[in-house]
Amino acid sequence: MKILVAEDDQLMLKMLEFRLKKDGHEVIVTHDGREALEKINDFQPDLVITDIMMPYLSGLEIIGAVKKKYPTGTPVIILSGMGQENVVMEAFQLGADDYITKPFSPNELSVRVRRFDMSIVK
Amino acid sequence: MGTLFHFLPINLLAITAFLPNALIIKLHYQAIVILFIICLMIALLTYMLFYMYFKSKHEKKHVKWRIISDLLIRKAVFYDDDDEEAETLIPVTKRAEKLMRNKHFRALLTAEILSAKKNITGTSAENLIHLYQQLNLEKYALKNLKSRYWYIKAKAIQELTVMEMKEFQTLLYPFTNNHNELVRMEAQTAIVQFQGFEGLRFLDIIIYPISDWQQIKLLQQLSNVPPVYIDIDGWLKSANSSVVVFALKLARNYHRFELHDLILSCLDHPNPEVRLQAIHCLCEMYTDETSDQLISRFLKESFRHQLAMIKAMQNIGSEKDILFLLSLLDDDNHEMKLSAARALASIGKSGLTSLQDHVKSAGYPLNEILMQIKGELAA
Repeated sequence: MKILVAEDDQLMLKMLEFRLKKDGHEVIVTHDGREALEKINDFQPDLVITDIMMPYLSGLEIIGAVKKKYPTGTPVIILSGMGQENVVMEAFQLGADDYITKPFSPNELSVRVRRFDMSIVK
Repeated sequence: MGTLFHFLPINLLAITAFLPNALIIKLHYQAIVILFIICLMIALLTYMLFYMYFKSKHEKKHVKWRIISDLLIRKAVFYDDDDEEAETLIPVTKRAEKLMRNKHFRALLTAEILSAKKNITGTSAENLIHLYQQLNLEKYALKNLKSRYWYIKAKAIQELTVMEMKEFQTLLYPFTNNHNELVRMEAQTAIVQFQGFEGLRFLDIIIYPISDWQQIKLLQQLSNVPPVYIDIDGWLKSANSSVVVFALKLARNYHRFELHDLILSCLDHPNPEVRLQAIHCLCEMYTDETSDQLISRFLKESFRHQLAMIKAMQNIGSEKDILFLLSLLDDDNHEMKLSAARALASIGKSGLTSLQDHVKSAGYPLNEILMQIKGELAA
């Protein structure tokens, strides 16, 4: 599965990239929201994993853009330290398919990602 | 070239021969100044070149260190996945081991481990703790606890907390009453992180105030652990006013109704913040006599407290309070009028009827207030 990961924390980005590649996915990484949108247009990923607080464009804006461009496909997983009810609700209202709050378990992320992979296979 | 070399001094001599002495001295002085400026520029340029050289060398070294530490952390985070037969120790390269002697590398690695640990849970987080201990990084944190600089101490406490070094909590406990606010904040956070509600025993001993921000942080931390019955009576009688305020917040958040009378006694506390918090607390935990207690103290209080009391009456007011609340509708302050009107409306039908009757005989702004309240009730 082709996955785009948008995360401004470099170490976190490297760890996510490493983990997802180990799981056999093709991973495209970016550390800001604007670049994430450009890469989504260029690479058309099967799944987007994004943080909320990022330079230039927030993760919530990315969900909006992705869901507008691909209304039926391209699931978006939010991976954020912001676990407040209103933020989570806003993310889901905008069309997020899953929400993981930091600190998170990489193993759990792996399983959640696989769930979307299975849906594509089906 | 030779001609020019010979020409200049001769020419200068030829000129100086015709110039007065004062002008010659001035010219020499100018030459010295120009020479000095040139020397200064050369020195500055040399300094800049050296600075840039060392900076670039340092940056290159830093990039290499970051790669090494990233690899080490990645190896630790995904340790169980890498090898089927997991060894006890996380493999550390010889280079990294050698670099561990360098305090700057250690600081970088520690910061990276902490950053990763804050974002990760589960087995990966446990592996990071394992790596931290394997590299003896806690030894340096403990050494930093003895530093004479408060920021080093605070950082060390935070480090031990994030890395869940529970075994050192007895060492951290005395810092909960440190004279430095940030040190004691970190220590209090650590103790509550390790022990949950039981950790609040530092409230028995602290003589320094707990800031509002720290109170929010502690309550937030406690909201993540299952509630445990703790004795907070003593804290409500503490000589430290901030402890009383915090205890009132605890009583309110965890619905400690049995403390009603003690909370009521806080209405007579000399500290205005304690009294205000007691009013907020009674707003949630009240009996049919609570409103009488508030009304009896109403005139003695400041406007801020009076307003809080009337807002509390929206929850605890009853029919016997209608006359008192009606009298406040003639107050000069519009906010007080609005709060009193809301309290009347919340009493029920009798309160609302009394409000409507009063408004009939009064004009602006009570008629507007009534309309707003009717709108709020309809919503």
